Amino acid sequence: MAVSILISFTFSWEVYPAIALMIGIYMGGVYGGSRTAILLNIPGAPSAIATALDGYPMAKRGEAGTAIGVTTVMSFIGGFIGIGVLALAAPLVSEFALTFQPRDYMLLAVLGILLVGSLSQGSLLKGIFAGALGIAIGAVGRDPLTFTERFTFDLQLMEGGISFIAVMIGMFGVSEALLQLHHVHTPSLRQKIGRILPSLATVKKHLPLSLQTSTIGVIIGALPGTGGDIAALMAYDHAKRVTKAPERPFGEGAIEGLVAPETANNAAVGGAFIPMMTLGIPGDAVTAIMIGALFIHGLNPGPMLMIDQPDMFWFIVGCLVTANVFMLLFGLTGIRLFTKIVEMPRAVLIPLIMLLSIVGAYAVNNSVSDVYWMLGFGLFGYFMRQYGYPLGPVILGVILSRLLDDNWRRAIISEREDLGLFFHGLFSSPLSTVLFVAVIVIFVSQTPLWARGKAKLFGKTEKTA
Amino acid sequence: MQHLDPDHHDGTSQASPHREAAKRRPGELLFALALSALSLFLLWDAWGIENAFGPNGLSSPRAIPLAASFAMLVSAAIVTLKTARLPLERAETVFRDILPGVVMLFAALLIAYGILLRPLGFLPTSALFLIVAIKLLARRGWGWTIGIAAVSLLVIWLIFRILFSVLMPAGVVPEAEVIQFVRTLFAQGQS
Repeated sequence: MAVSILISFTFSWEVYPAIALMIGIYMGGVYGGSRTAILLNIPGAPSAIATALDGYPMAKRGEAGTAIGVTTVMSFIGGFIGIGVLALAAPLVSEFALTFQPRDYMLLAVLGILLVGSLSQGSLLKGIFAGALGIAIGAVGRDPLTFTERFTFDLQLMEGGISFIAVMIGMFGVSEALLQLHHVHTPSLRQKIGRILPSLATVKKHLPLSLQTSTIGVIIGALPGTGGDIAALMAYDHAKRVTKAPERPFGEGAIEGLVAPETANNAAVGGAFIPMMTLGIPGDAVTAIMIGALFIHGLNPGPMLMIDQPDMFWFIVGCLVTANVFMLLFGLTGIRLFTKIVEMPRAVLIPLIMLLSIVGAYAVNNSVSDVYWMLGFGLFGYFMRQYGYPLGPVILGVILSRLLDDNWRRAIISEREDLGLFFHGLFSSPLSTVLFVAVIVIFVSQTPLWARGKAKLFGKTEKTA
Repeated sequence: MQHLDPDHHDGTSQASPHREAAKRRPGELLFALALSALSLFLLWDAWGIENAFGPNGLSSPRAIPLAASFAMLVSAAIVTLKTARLPLERAETVFRDILPGVVMLFAALLIAYGILLRPLGFLPTSALFLIVAIKLLARRGWGWTIGIAAVSLLVIWLIFRILFSVLMPAGVVPEAEVIQFVRTLFAQGQS
């Protein structure tokens, strides 16, 4: 939410400070989400959901300081592993990406939307709806190739399209603030902060687990469309399976329950930058926002950016390293101050978030109509959340709509509009085949058909979701 | 894998109270029906997109809008059918759990903000919004409410107007003149 609101204020800036600010907010947001998860049992970001499971029980036992100290150090370790992999892998991936055909980009876009839809919520159908809605929103306005009006309903206001920033701030910022109104009178618990810095022995003991879960984080982060939230939940699940004798049971304050999600979600940050920098495809919702910001600053993320402007890539890596170091410093030294911010009454915080959302939406184009769009999508997003529709695929769909549209049309034109030739091309390239099979497998694996097939194959009766 | 809903944060949020996938929340069917109707409308609109430069083939400007709205319609229709089959969650009500008075009030406040922003300007509209919103939520005295609203607005204005150079609608406040006056004052003080 923070990135979505603050991004609009950087449009008048030079590209470098704008990128630095966004990276700082992104890194800080992923880490900072754990603070409210531990102290209030309300994760400040989706990536901190798993952190609350053991962090809050620790805080209730009076171990909030230890919990925050462990999450800070583990976030730092995970963050560095993610950045290291980004620095090593991105140049190689970008070289490989030069061989991608338009159909491969199209399949990657579909894969990203499907992945975020199926993994984030559990309901593939709602995920597909959300992703397709995002693509439809992204198509609003005049078609860049033929200048034909699409979904404009003959309104001049819609010819220029809908600002993705307005959609994003509304869906993430306003809907979240409206949702928080349900908890406005839940009192903030005052936590006693004791010892902060974890002992070297604690760090050493959990280092193997943190390395394992960092790997999970990087891989999940690097998959198009999946980010820190999924990485953290998968890492938590991994920790539960591999930790034979935790000091305390999981869910009751196990340190391993903090180590795993916190290393994974921070490692996922570096991972999420890999598809963004090399393919121009967002690794998660935040990198989707950053891709939009780079476009606005005249940059085109993708393999050519890595070749034409390698300095931009290394600048981003440098910013990530700096942000990671400062996250550790501020995290450890400012615990008591940040705890005070967490205790800020929601009765003040919620109206301020709403006000910042309005300013953010207006600042993009100095347009009141963007504020109306933002409010409309905020209310719509509120209902979507209430009824279990994921919002991530909407944002991803909006961002990827253009890429999907352009590459589909390029691909089908190059095959002379012949679907037979298109599918022939699809299966004549190993990369296209792999991507196509991945799309099909992800789709089918979420259907009752898959469960029935598995049950038949293994002779078990499984309940379909 | 332990499933927790990222959009509902801790899964214990009141946004999804006592949530069971096997039950339908109040208003959920109506929302699913509305989404199906929206999808159908978008599909019909997408079908009407004409290619000015050739036939409406697979590469025409309508291809992706048609595919997207078709995917929306199919998924929304299946979700509607599935939702209709679920038993209603009797422990919840629309006005307590889905759309409580406070949410409706804030939705109305936000709409009022949008309407007043241009004629009144950023500072008066925001001041009004913050005072009303904080008073409603915090239920504290007027002095405290106005003080908090004023300090918050001042900080936001200083950061975004001065630091980020975001030009919000001035409306009835002669903002530019005030800033110029302060700058002149400082310039005179320095010389």
